[in-house]
Amino acid sequence: MHQKKIFIIILLFSSFYVNAQLSGGFESNSAYYIDDDKIKLEQIEARQRFRSNNYLRLDYKFKKFTTGVQVESYEPKALLNYSPKLNKTNLGNYYINYRNEKLRLEATVGHFYGQFGSGLVFRSWEDRQLGIANSIAGGMVKYSPLESVHLTALYGKQRNGLGFDFSNGTIGGLNADAELSSLLKIKKTKFGIGLSYVNRNEKNNEIIGLKKNVYLTSIRGDFSAGGFTLDLEYAFKSKDALVEFNNIRPELQFDGDAYLINLGYAKNGFGFTANLRRTENFTFYSQRNLAGNVYNEGFLNYVPSLTKQYDYSLTNIYVYPAQPNLSFEPDRNKAGEIGGQVDVFYQFKKETPLGGKYGTSISANFAQWHGLKGRYEAFERKYKANKIGFGQKYYRDASVEVRKKWNKTWSSVFTYLNQYYNSRYVEEATGEVNTNTVVIENTLRLKKTKSIRWELQHQWAQGGFQNWAAAQTEFNFNSFWSVFALDLFNYGNATKADRLHYYNVGGSFNKGAYRVQASYGRQRGGLICVGGVCRFVPQSAGLNLGLNYSF
Amino acid sequence: MHKLFAIALFFCTHMSLQAQDVPNIKLVTLKGNSFQTQKFNELSSKPVVLSFWASWCIPCINELTAINDNLESWKENLKFEFYAISEDDSRTTKRVQPLVSGKGWEFEVLLDKNQDLKRELNVVNIPYIIIVKNGKIIYRRLGYIAGNENEVHKIIMENQ
Repeated sequence: MHQKKIFIIILLFSSFYVNAQLSGGFESNSAYYIDDDKIKLEQIEARQRFRSNNYLRLDYKFKKFTTGVQVESYEPKALLNYSPKLNKTNLGNYYINYRNEKLRLEATVGHFYGQFGSGLVFRSWEDRQLGIANSIAGGMVKYSPLESVHLTALYGKQRNGLGFDFSNGTIGGLNADAELSSLLKIKKTKFGIGLSYVNRNEKNNEIIGLKKNVYLTSIRGDFSAGGFTLDLEYAFKSKDALVEFNNIRPELQFDGDAYLINLGYAKNGFGFTANLRRTENFTFYSQRNLAGNVYNEGFLNYVPSLTKQYDYSLTNIYVYPAQPNLSFEPDRNKAGEIGGQVDVFYQFKKETPLGGKYGTSISANFAQWHGLKGRYEAFERKYKANKIGFGQKYYRDASVEVRKKWNKTWSSVFTYLNQYYNSRYVEEATGEVNTNTVVIENTLRLKKTKSIRWELQHQWAQGGFQNWAAAQTEFNFNSFWSVFALDLFNYGNATKADRLHYYNVGGSFNKGAYRVQASYGRQRGGLICVGGVCRFVPQSAGLNLGLNYSF
Repeated sequence: MHKLFAIALFFCTHMSLQAQDVPNIKLVTLKGNSFQTQKFNELSSKPVVLSFWASWCIPCINELTAINDNLESWKENLKFEFYAISEDDSRTTKRVQPLVSGKGWEFEVLLDKNQDLKRELNVVNIPYIIIVKNGKIIYRRLGYIAGNENEVHKIIMENQ
């Protein structure tokens, strides 16, 4: 039934396109999972070996109005470890938007995405790789009474699944940002302030003693002069019941807060940034009992891990996800995290001894995160955390990246990464891991658009999966066709049977906005992380196919 | 799912000639000022090249490095505008300015902090290049492999 309705809606939608502007995009990711001699699907998953996630988005613009739908299809079933709520074919998002530049006004009815400030108190966004699509369905108005004053008001329920599936809470939010220096016509320095408020109203008559309204609020300021920048933010969460393993505990109510400081300096050829943050009990979900769910459902705020995001396979094995949550367990109490990161970027100029003919670019990063120091009484569910105090170390990393173009055809990237990862606290598993990882990437241009790229990686690790070696090569025949082969070998694994090769071979065709990609091989199990938010995937083997097109 | 494919196929084959303009979204410059993207439609008849990237995306950095190496010589003979649109979210957005300065990149960089422009232009993955002329999108490309910048150069030349 659903499918028929959707089909009709889309046909109606498309028949109007003649006089206005239609745009859209299609993405499809499919897999056929196989069992090889080492990797097998779990029995319950093996019932459906072909899985496919498909997204079709259409937007139709007519004068100041835009209307759009996103249809999603997970048939016969979604890829491994996506939320069970994502199944069959159904509407994902639908909206009508009005934009008037002269009035500086924008209004949306239906689904919308948004972010207040840095996202600490509110962010709704889509990340298909992570299975996140937490748009709000309702109404949103953005209005700028002056060019440098921006106001937003929103109200609605958060999407959680497909079609008309929403979280229980009703969300209301207000945000104001003012570029004060522009208002005061000050040119040499720049400063502004922002205020946000987000409320969740959730009735739960079965449990006595719950607060109907829980809110987050934030105040922030930014300042910049010369090459310097400074941002400060303080956010507060009102009291809410503790949720333990899906169990709501109304007798245990805790509030939370967050402090964020960003410092930066930049001039031509040099850049520096430091980010410091302390969060205490600072997760916020659109439905109380979604707290801590494994499918990333119901996120209302965004507390990313402030560490460098790496892009090579072996540098992505021990990824630190932020730990803003409160949980009690003897010898593993957590109330939040405190720490920071520092980045430095420097360019050795052309025609200098270290710069050579084409210049050399170097960047370094350091990050360290701890739990909050304090007194914890796990059995009584009581704690008191110090405002400044470093508890258990969760994570540390230090990395250096050097990019060098040797001549017109050959360029290289060297990366070195040293990590400490506390699995016991971060994954609630056991042990600790210390790693040293080296990556060398080379690109050689053979002709105008013909090139070969190869990567060699090695990771020395104590604890965890122990040592890994990896190699990847990619050959680009021309700007359309490309093939690749890679192998990640966990040769040092303490368990002999787990010393597996995770190999992959594949190719892609790319023309303009069309892209088709196919590969065959094994996928390492673990966390797939984007922007510090992670999704767990089990290891698997099989054939993968990806299609992309936008217009 | 088959229906979805059928619909997608229908649009892919029939609709690709319908040129889209750039929606008006508020981005932020590295100096912290707001930037309305309708400006891309208003830049007379010059082609406007938009490169979508992020500080953590290595092929994106490879592409921007290659473009930056060529930008000066392209600008000697050709009229066009180039903007690098960062899709970094608040995890990494503070790394963008130091990275750009540290690399000595001289083109303008805009921040799309919650991927509003990326979403509305149906940019599924990065790196992604869009070229706009007279307010219409005339070119799109997903992905980067070494040498792709020559294709961008060619499109700019053809649209002078």
